[in-house]
Amino acid sequence: MIIDNWSLPIDYSIMVILIYGIINSFSLALMAIGFTLVYGICRLPNFAHGALYVITGFLVWSLVHLLKLNYVVSIILALVIMGLVGAAIYRFVLIRVRGMATSEIIATYALGLAILEFLRWGGFKGMTYTLPVFIEGSVNIGGIPVDFQRIIVIGIGIVVVSFMWLFTHFNRTGLALRGMAQDEHAAMMLGIDSDWMAVIAMAMGSILAGLSAIALLPLGNIVVEAGYNVLILSIAVCIVGGLGSWVGAILAAFMIGFLQIITVTYIQSHFQMVVALLAIIVTLILRPSGLFGRQKELEERV
Amino acid sequence: MGGRNSFKGGNRMKGKKLFLWVSVLVLVIGLLSIPLFGHKAKAQGKPIVIGAPLATAFLYGWDAERAIKLAVEEINAAGGVKVGNEKRPFKVEVIDTRDLEPGVPTSDALLVVEKLILEKNADFIVGGPVRSEAALAAMDLLSKYKKVSILTTGVLTPAYHKRVEAEYEKFKYCFRISGEVAWMVVGEFIPCLMEIKAKHNLNRLFIMIQDVAHARAGGDLVEKMSKERGWEVLGKEVYPTGTTDYSVGLLKAKKENAQVILIWMDMPETSILLKQWYDMKIPALPYGTIISAAEEPGFWKATEGKGEYAMASVVNAGNAPSKATPWTMKFFEAYTKKWKVEPEGYGTSSSYMAVYTLKDAIERAGTLDSAAVIAALEKTDLMGVYGRIKFNPKNHQVIPSVDPNEGAVGTIFQWQAGKRIVVFPPKIAMGEVKLPPWMKK
Repeated sequence: MIIDNWSLPIDYSIMVILIYGIINSFSLALMAIGFTLVYGICRLPNFAHGALYVITGFLVWSLVHLLKLNYVVSIILALVIMGLVGAAIYRFVLIRVRGMATSEIIATYALGLAILEFLRWGGFKGMTYTLPVFIEGSVNIGGIPVDFQRIIVIGIGIVVVSFMWLFTHFNRTGLALRGMAQDEHAAMMLGIDSDWMAVIAMAMGSILAGLSAIALLPLGNIVVEAGYNVLILSIAVCIVGGLGSWVGAILAAFMIGFLQIITVTYIQSHFQMVVALLAIIVTLILRPSGLFGRQKELEERV
Repeated sequence: MGGRNSFKGGNRMKGKKLFLWVSVLVLVIGLLSIPLFGHKAKAQGKPIVIGAPLATAFLYGWDAERAIKLAVEEINAAGGVKVGNEKRPFKVEVIDTRDLEPGVPTSDALLVVEKLILEKNADFIVGGPVRSEAALAAMDLLSKYKKVSILTTGVLTPAYHKRVEAEYEKFKYCFRISGEVAWMVVGEFIPCLMEIKAKHNLNRLFIMIQDVAHARAGGDLVEKMSKERGWEVLGKEVYPTGTTDYSVGLLKAKKENAQVILIWMDMPETSILLKQWYDMKIPALPYGTIISAAEEPGFWKATEGKGEYAMASVVNAGNAPSKATPWTMKFFEAYTKKWKVEPEGYGTSSSYMAVYTLKDAIERAGTLDSAAVIAALEKTDLMGVYGRIKFNPKNHQVIPSVDPNEGAVGTIFQWQAGKRIVVFPPKIAMGEVKLPPWMKK
């Protein structure tokens, strides 16, 4: 039996959609922004993105519980380590296959699998690995209970998006990254080091994956399987938004985010994941390069 | 020349030193292994190999592995299994089936079963496969290789023993020593729900289930039976495996003024559901029937106490502290001592008992021959950790009961002040169901 939601007062359902739609959209945007940054700058599809998300969670957990470090210190330390991990992945693995799309996908996916399986092998299994929320408690917004951690997710989402915009518009390195994203060869002619930029992009992408984990994981528990879920959702957001387009990714996150909550509210939770996958299929049929993508070759081929 | 000679001399010295160190190492290892040789000499004949196909990354897999190993260790320490005139030890071979992971095909679990039989030379299969779909598919393999199997964890579908009954000659090798969904709903979940209804005057039910075979079947049955018994079923949400956000479903339940939320999910993410339930202060009792996350002793710490009042079934007694039989707490303490954690949930006591039941059957049969062991298993009558262990000879399902003197008893507990308090069945209950304070107006 499916609940007859249309009998619910419309304002209640709309409030649920509005509040949880925004939260879900920012969660998706946070998950996907690291993936889209790396692809946007160096055209690297980082299929280890989900694994980096999960490993950050376990890293913070280990620092807090095994080394008994302060939560904030652990978070900062974990983000720094993730930056170094991302840089190392490019410097030691991806640099060798750069430009060969299939090899890049295979290398990153294999790396992601290796990380996730290593974690599982290392005993990180079950539901007992959790991170504490930043602020305990919840608040009622228009009669809808929302916990503070979800409001913090929105806050972190806004800060990250604003920071990314400021960084890529007013900072020399950020501008160089944008230059690389627009035209790699022209950027190289202007003296921008392509490999160094890719190292920075991978480091930033990993830090962003880690940051989203730190914001979102306190809402639930850290499980290895989440890595695959995060990867699928990130890919969905990036494809719908247009591969490499940051604005597109954020818009797509909102589109998929709201669609998912509308589906859950009016149809069934069962179809929540289907929405994301359906969005990929519809996008690929109607607009293969996504909302804001400029994959000219792809457009012409279709 | 002299320099070269002294160099050679230095090398010789190094060689001698190395030889000396290696000799000392060999000597030390040799001395240390004397007790081991002694132990081996004490060990009996050729080991009886138990193949355990288990999803070891998940609760229902790793707790079963630990329980099987504990039972094997105890049995071997006590002299092993008497097969005819010979005493033989048990040996366990565990392979991860990964069948509880989303997206892993059933065929992977079948390969594991086949590998255990063909490569590890398993004499018996105990444990899984853990996912119903995989276990049903494995029945044909067990029949093909004529391997006796005792299913202990994860598989709740009635289809398993119904298949045995329908094609006895083909599937007579398959036994199940843990619960199955039809009895659990009729004999445990619904009676417990009715007790809650009577005691707290509640009748508005909301159902949340996972999109897997046993949960869908169980959810449908609970819905039908609870409606017939005066419950108003307000909605049913089906969640895909791996769902990490339940807020909208919980808000639906709240909006409909649900008083009990019945949860049937075996994924670890259900702890998120309970955390959200607490954070949102949803005024309904979380009645977890199958809810793996809440079963684990570590649940309290992981949710920082937010899981208080959550109820869960651990399928068989012994998986949470109770005094069902004299063996229950003995097993509970032995497991806690060995693994530094209390028996963790569904699949623990049943896996432990499966090994003892197998030992009992082999000893009565006096041989490892499948036909003889099947006949012996069918005649099993053993007072075990969770009551009297007897199999229905027609379908090889353990006979259930709410009285440990009559059959295998289940357990439903509630988290109260950091402890798992058994609340059902009444014969083994250690406390009563309590409602969260925000439900009382």
